[in-house]
Amino acid sequence: MGTVILIGLRNLRQGGRRTVLLGLALALVTLLLVLLDALAAGLETSMLRSATTLSSGHVNVGGFFKVSSGQASPTLAEGKRIREIVEREVEGRDYVVDRLRGWARAVSETSSSWFALAGVDVAEERGLREVLQITQGRLEDLAQADTVMLFEAQAKRLEARIGDTLTLSAPTMGGVNNTVDVRVVAIARDVGWMSAISLFMPKSTVRSLYQMKPEATGAVQIYLDDPERGAAVIEQLKPVFEREGFRIMESDPRPFWMKFEAVAGQDWVNQKLDLTTWKEEVSFLLWILTGFSALRWSLLGVLLVVIVVGIMNAMFMSIRERTREIGTMRAIGMSRRAVQWLFLVEALGLGVLASVVGAACGAGTALLINAAHIQIPNEAFQAILMNDVLLLALEPMNVLVAIAVITLVTCVAAVAPARRAARLRPVGAIHQVG
Amino acid sequence: MSPRALAPVLAMLTALFAPVFALAQMSAAEMAAMLQRMDDRQRNMGDYKALAYIEQREKNKNDVFFETVFYRRDKSEQFLILFLKPRTEAGKGYLRIEKNLWMYDPGTGKWERRTERERIGGTNSRSQDFDPLYLARDFTHEYVGAEKLGNFEVHHLRLKAKPGAKSPDPVIEMWIDKATENNLKQQDFALSGRLMRTSYYPKWDKVFSETKKAEVYYPKEIRIFDEVEKENRTTILIDTVDLRPLEPNVFTKAWLEAKSR
Repeated sequence: MGTVILIGLRNLRQGGRRTVLLGLALALVTLLLVLLDALAAGLETSMLRSATTLSSGHVNVGGFFKVSSGQASPTLAEGKRIREIVEREVEGRDYVVDRLRGWARAVSETSSSWFALAGVDVAEERGLREVLQITQGRLEDLAQADTVMLFEAQAKRLEARIGDTLTLSAPTMGGVNNTVDVRVVAIARDVGWMSAISLFMPKSTVRSLYQMKPEATGAVQIYLDDPERGAAVIEQLKPVFEREGFRIMESDPRPFWMKFEAVAGQDWVNQKLDLTTWKEEVSFLLWILTGFSALRWSLLGVLLVVIVVGIMNAMFMSIRERTREIGTMRAIGMSRRAVQWLFLVEALGLGVLASVVGAACGAGTALLINAAHIQIPNEAFQAILMNDVLLLALEPMNVLVAIAVITLVTCVAAVAPARRAARLRPVGAIHQVG
Repeated sequence: MSPRALAPVLAMLTALFAPVFALAQMSAAEMAAMLQRMDDRQRNMGDYKALAYIEQREKNKNDVFFETVFYRRDKSEQFLILFLKPRTEAGKGYLRIEKNLWMYDPGTGKWERRTERERIGGTNSRSQDFDPLYLARDFTHEYVGAEKLGNFEVHHLRLKAKPGAKSPDPVIEMWIDKATENNLKQQDFALSGRLMRTSYYPKWDKVFSETKKAEVYYPKEIRIFDEVEKENRTTILIDTVDLRPLEPNVFTKAWLEAKSR
């Protein structure tokens, strides 16, 4: 076998320009695969960051309170008790916050728009303080009553500046119209598409708008050491809450503000809890990931087909050129299987070498792009990529998978030519002319 | 002059003008009676059908125009509004069953439960604009003063919704024509005290009801101004009021779905 490997690698080296060109093509496809993987991982990272900053914990204990069957409010009437249960029962949590939720129309001097309200205690919102980049004003001022923080796109849409007053209009839990005037105290850099709809303000403002009791809240958001444990935590919490006398809503993987009509159409009153993961809260954005993934695999599929055809063509040409050599090796006792292995080893060597070089170049490019902090100029692209900076998240496992996939494809492409070489009859092959 | 010295003067002035204030003011009983009369004459004992044209103007948006027909059965507080035009909205409708307002979208074939404050067709109009509130039953009242509204002598009243009233506005103010007892102007306030809408009722008309054996009053035109988004306004024209009995099954989901088809 050692001899076969040696001959295979030597043949590879002797392949000259053909080997280099094939290797280059394989390296480029690997590079592309690594970069696309990093972009997809970056997208998911941005989505997780954006979702868990703006509207969700890794796990959320939210729900609706219905005064009458037709009137749903995203409220936990016993918010304090629910938070205590969460803090008692959930292990492996990083931290827990509770936020008040709402859906209201914000009206400025010149414009208006509907927003998902988030009533926060800015002092306990560690993640929010870490992630938000305040461009004007001070986030700490959000501790003052009747204030609001806008994102840049919102401020632009409402034509609002620091110190301006907006009117928030929404019906109270009892169903009567109410308003609150809030002062803009901070403007933050956009965090992808979700920042277009989330409006942050103190809890007291949301309470005042909806006429909620002090112990009520909107959702208890749990941040875990391992975000992937979200589903398991939900399964753990469900029986706990049921034992505590709470009713749980059927799973509906949508953000709370998309559930109002469905919940209002259901025939129940009082409180029901809704346990969701961050992925469910951003499910309306998962099409971006799905679409990107489909695009990535379609593109790679086409490139891989081209590569397979190229490799097969090059191998067949190589066999044709080396027919007499193969005939001689067969004549001096090399088995058919060894001939087959010879070509497979050649392909394997090419695949490993090219994909490692390609992966290394891809990883280097990704690191350079991240270091360069490239701003995404177009707002639409910012929204789709959920970031204003191009972020490529390089994951070692993805790089290894890329190397393995390209090497495997190269080997598979070499199977048919290798079998043809193995089937050559020594006498005929030795007498082959040209 | 010290405040103490002013006291007898003020007392004398109050005594002098007391009859004038008494004339200007209305007693609680008089107000209740007037509101009851207004309620009674806007309602038919039997059924009610009318065409309503709704025009919505919003800043930076195209004007929207709807032609609708609405049905009421005042005795059982039933209400239905069906969109006829434009073609994209035709067949859409709102139906009140007991205390719930339902919206039907023929595009999806689905019914969705809505609240009483639902903006009809996304305009600034609400079901209360077509199906008047029960002023005497659902509100407490307070006399603000006798005023002039243009050329009209009016009673200015402030009404507060009682708990459980179906009004989405906790406070409304009305300017009621002294001569005709028609509501000429209404302002709706939010719980915070913020003025939300101002509506004007420049034209009133009446039709004789065989069922009621009396006339039923209705506003021929309602002009609604959004006081939060100042440039948004809605105009409702009510026409072809028909008080003949309706089919018994009008106020059902099946009837509206059949009409939508």
